[in-house]
Amino acid sequence: MLVFAASDKGGTGRSVTSANLAYQRALNGDHVAYVDFDFGSPTAAAVFDVPDAVRGTRERGLHSYLEGRATEPAVIDVWRRTENPVLRAWPNQSGRLVLFPGDAGGGEFATDEEALERCVDLLLRLNAEFDVIMVDLSAGRSYAVDMVLAATAHPRMRHVRSRWLVFHRWTRQHVIAASGLVHDEHGILDSGVARGHDGDALRGSIRFVRAAVPDPDSALWSRVSPAQAAWMQSTDEALRRLAAEYAIGDSVVLGVVPLEPILQWREQMITEEDVLATQIANKETLKALEEIARKLTDDTCWGRP
Amino acid sequence: MPPAASAPAAALLCGEVRTHLLPVHQALDIRTAAQFLGLRADERVLLSERPNLYARSPDTLTGVDCPLPTADGARTRAVGTVAARAALTEGRVLQSSAHVTLPAAGPDRRRPWGEYLVRPGVAEPVGKLPPDAVADGVLGGGRPGDLDLGAIADGLLTRLLRHPLIDHRPPLRSRPTRLRWAALPAAPDEEPSLEFTLAEDHLRTVRLRVPEGTPAAEVAGLCDDLALHDWLLTTVVRLFDGIRPDTPAVLAALRPAVDHLLHLWMPRARVTGDLAPLWDELETRPGFTRQWETLVRRIRDQLALHAIPSPHREAELTP
Repeated sequence: MLVFAASDKGGTGRSVTSANLAYQRALNGDHVAYVDFDFGSPTAAAVFDVPDAVRGTRERGLHSYLEGRATEPAVIDVWRRTENPVLRAWPNQSGRLVLFPGDAGGGEFATDEEALERCVDLLLRLNAEFDVIMVDLSAGRSYAVDMVLAATAHPRMRHVRSRWLVFHRWTRQHVIAASGLVHDEHGILDSGVARGHDGDALRGSIRFVRAAVPDPDSALWSRVSPAQAAWMQSTDEALRRLAAEYAIGDSVVLGVVPLEPILQWREQMITEEDVLATQIANKETLKALEEIARKLTDDTCWGRP
Repeated sequence: MPPAASAPAAALLCGEVRTHLLPVHQALDIRTAAQFLGLRADERVLLSERPNLYARSPDTLTGVDCPLPTADGARTRAVGTVAARAALTEGRVLQSSAHVTLPAAGPDRRRPWGEYLVRPGVAEPVGKLPPDAVADGVLGGGRPGDLDLGAIADGLLTRLLRHPLIDHRPPLRSRPTRLRWAALPAAPDEEPSLEFTLAEDHLRTVRLRVPEGTPAAEVAGLCDDLALHDWLLTTVVRLFDGIRPDTPAVLAALRPAVDHLLHLWMPRARVTGDLAPLWDELETRPGFTRQWETLVRRIRDQLALHAIPSPHREAELTP
């Protein structure tokens, strides 16, 4: 199963959250590939804490591969190469977790016919090998988004299942922008249909993830003044109405990730250790990530709502 | 024929094999396999139905003029051609492999291309070849820009996987393997030998000593056979990863092995003459067939257990 992680704006926590989802799936025994198609700013190396491994493969990132300068893209076994001590001690019976890094210092590039064929080659090979392939896409209506829309509509990919996660923060601007990324003219749906996707099927394969959402009911906010609490409640409700109005209401939301300092500042994996031993992460955050990871392959959460 | 055509003795043979499950819903029959592997209009696909279904493409040639990988960093350039071919076993396992023969020495400067083309699959060193350093370099992997047999094998694989006959509906998820090999001629009083190593990232390396004058294609045939059986072991072992016994998931996980893999085990099916005894070493240690038979028994036992209705399957563990 291919899972594309998209967002309209930067700063939605798309990369760090999708990396956490990949990590959760691998913990559950799936073989997982994380593909860094964020050509403008490849960040996966930092998220998985494999900086040295990436430095050694500078010339063979996905960028070089797609442009035909490298015959095979570099591959990094995260469990073995990470410098994160908790990840290094990966639990018994977990699946493989493998990173396909972007080129350091790569930029967006126009995709030609051959790059598209190479993209299809890569996705098909990964699909034959991995249970879940998480593809992190550059923010906005990028070449990366165009390329994977074209790739998934390619006749060779007709038997490959793919799903989309659109990440956005829980603010007025972000809700409108996320809706625009999918529903506006030249948005994902429009461009997808223009490339040969079935509109309904594509719509049914897109779900939203609300990131950095302050939960007014959580313990974190229990000490705020009554005025603040009331204001938070009403703002939250207003945002829900806005989201529904923009066709990204609760029925197409796969999950909500709470506002979590560790995701915002450390931008790395949240582990059980962070919740149980050092207690620097909230268990609600870990739970939310586990839940979204599980729902990726739960068919009842997908399709036309 | 110019004198260049007389083959000088090979100082080193080396190659790389990629082994993949063919990503098709139904295994290809022998006729379709012939169509799939028909890489060249002027040469036929080799087909064989005994002792198992096997199809092999004609060789394709890739011109090379690049440094050879060396373990000690010495720069040796080689010019010539690398031979690559693809083989399909039982219409189910696809292997693409590239190999090259390196003579002990070559002229000090590059000659016209025509002179290299008369000896397909041979790359001549410019000057003298350090065979041991290059063998280590090939097995360990070179630097960017060095001769990369894996890239040539992979290029052929990519070309084949774009074939319209391939529907990309593999019956199980599996991981491809890479096997690199290097064969040096055995000394006159030395027995042929083989050293098989599992390296990280699904890379296998094979270091051989073969009787002087053994053609590269024969060694490549042995290494294809090794790679196929190593891939089968690896793939079936992996099926047991992460499955909990006594759940219905066991059936779902093991069934594809029964349908698609268990009948493929046939070591030495196409290994010829002098090289066949090299397999025997692997049968003694680590014991390829011994491990395979244990796996097959384990799969059959699991399936037999699941044939019993579950209330009767519960065993009382206390005496």
